[in-house]
Amino acid sequence: MKLGSYLIWAAVAAVSGLFVLLGYFIPVNLIPVAFQLRLLIMQWAVLLAAVGLFVGLANIFLVHWTKVGEQSEGWPYSAILLIFFLITLMVGLVFGPDSETVRLLFNYVQLPVEATLSGILAISLALAGFRILSYRRDFISVVFVGTAFFVLIGSGPGLIPNDGPGYEFFAGLRNWIAQVAAAGGARGILIGVALGSVVTGLRVLLAIDRPYGDG
Amino acid sequence: MIGINLLGLLVLVLFVVLLIVFIAIGDRWPVSFRKIRGYEALLKALERAVESGERVHLSLGTGSLIGTDSAAAFAGLVVLTEIAKVTSLSDRPVVVSTGDGAMAIVAQDTLRSAYREAGALDRYEPISARMLGPTPFSYAANIPILLESERVSANVLLGAFGAEGALAADFGERKQTFVMAGTEDIQSQALLYAVAEYPLIGEEVFAGGAYLDVSPAHRASLRVQDTVRFIIVGGILIGLLLNLLGISL
Repeated sequence: MKLGSYLIWAAVAAVSGLFVLLGYFIPVNLIPVAFQLRLLIMQWAVLLAAVGLFVGLANIFLVHWTKVGEQSEGWPYSAILLIFFLITLMVGLVFGPDSETVRLLFNYVQLPVEATLSGILAISLALAGFRILSYRRDFISVVFVGTAFFVLIGSGPGLIPNDGPGYEFFAGLRNWIAQVAAAGGARGILIGVALGSVVTGLRVLLAIDRPYGDG
Repeated sequence: MIGINLLGLLVLVLFVVLLIVFIAIGDRWPVSFRKIRGYEALLKALERAVESGERVHLSLGTGSLIGTDSAAAFAGLVVLTEIAKVTSLSDRPVVVSTGDGAMAIVAQDTLRSAYREAGALDRYEPISARMLGPTPFSYAANIPILLESERVSANVLLGAFGAEGALAADFGERKQTFVMAGTEDIQSQALLYAVAEYPLIGEEVFAGGAYLDVSPAHRASLRVQDTVRFIIVGGILIGLLLNLLGISL
């Protein structure tokens, strides 16, 4: 790989990242200059993330504008999105983001749509539970479905009467699964995730991975 | 010294030293990987997509670039470099989606670098990496339209997801596309396990770079993880033994 300006970005990313990271292990607040510098870098990060949201919204607009312009597949959806994007933006700019009109849009458009999607999610998961053994017939999938079944029986209201003969057994089994088997397994998975996260972060800090580009 | 988290600092130094040592050793100590169904099938799905002129979609999730859950999305960016290279000469190059504006910018930079490395910079389009929606469910709501309009045949979800990740994966399954999904959140992993045909569990999310042979540093990363894992397991077993013997530290 040719040497280039990426070395500057890599150096800036590595130095500022390691500086902030070391602040978690060394009490930088005892050194006022280091404390202020670390604070400044973190404030810049928050500020840049906010600018990122603005750029992201411009990106949404550009993507759909291009699709409408080229009349590519699904362009009517893009046109509808652009119209309501602009209407919402104008309403927000004219009446203010905390106004009653914007709140109405949020409460009667966005909230119901998101609630509907949550409802679809519940149905999708139930169907996926039934479907899982049709496309992944392995031991772990059988354990997964079996565990879900016993936990549902042990905790679902009305599935087994509280005074019924099997209630004590299934409630006990559910508690054992949740508190022993699931908790132990979750800790094992979390250790794996933590190790992976640390090494991935270190690769970025050491400029081995350069998501900010090489140019 | 008072106030210094010496143990934390030592662990950090251990990670850095191991990473440098394993990168230096490189292929002189050959690596053998266990099979991960998802990554094996991904390579075939990429070939199929390129041959049939269909598109690959990579989702980096709905997490923020500066959030504590961004590591999975960075792992997704590593996978993106390889997918971008493989699909750079196809009729329909990879499309990347995210729920965070800053992450979309980073994805654009990653794509541009990958295309430059593949010698196909003229094929790079900034709108190939896009933000779909600023909230988790507005992001998920846009997925079916993306899958339909871009003619996606392979769907890779690697990033920070909540419950909306399961919806995104389910939309892919309903379209009968290849779906590989992984995230760092343990509850979302359970949802993805039920919905996606090729779920990634735990550290598998971070193993993409090594399995897709992105660079020797990624293979070294897996060795670092395994070494530290053995140290942790050893610590747990010693603690267990001492506890059984009635010795408390």
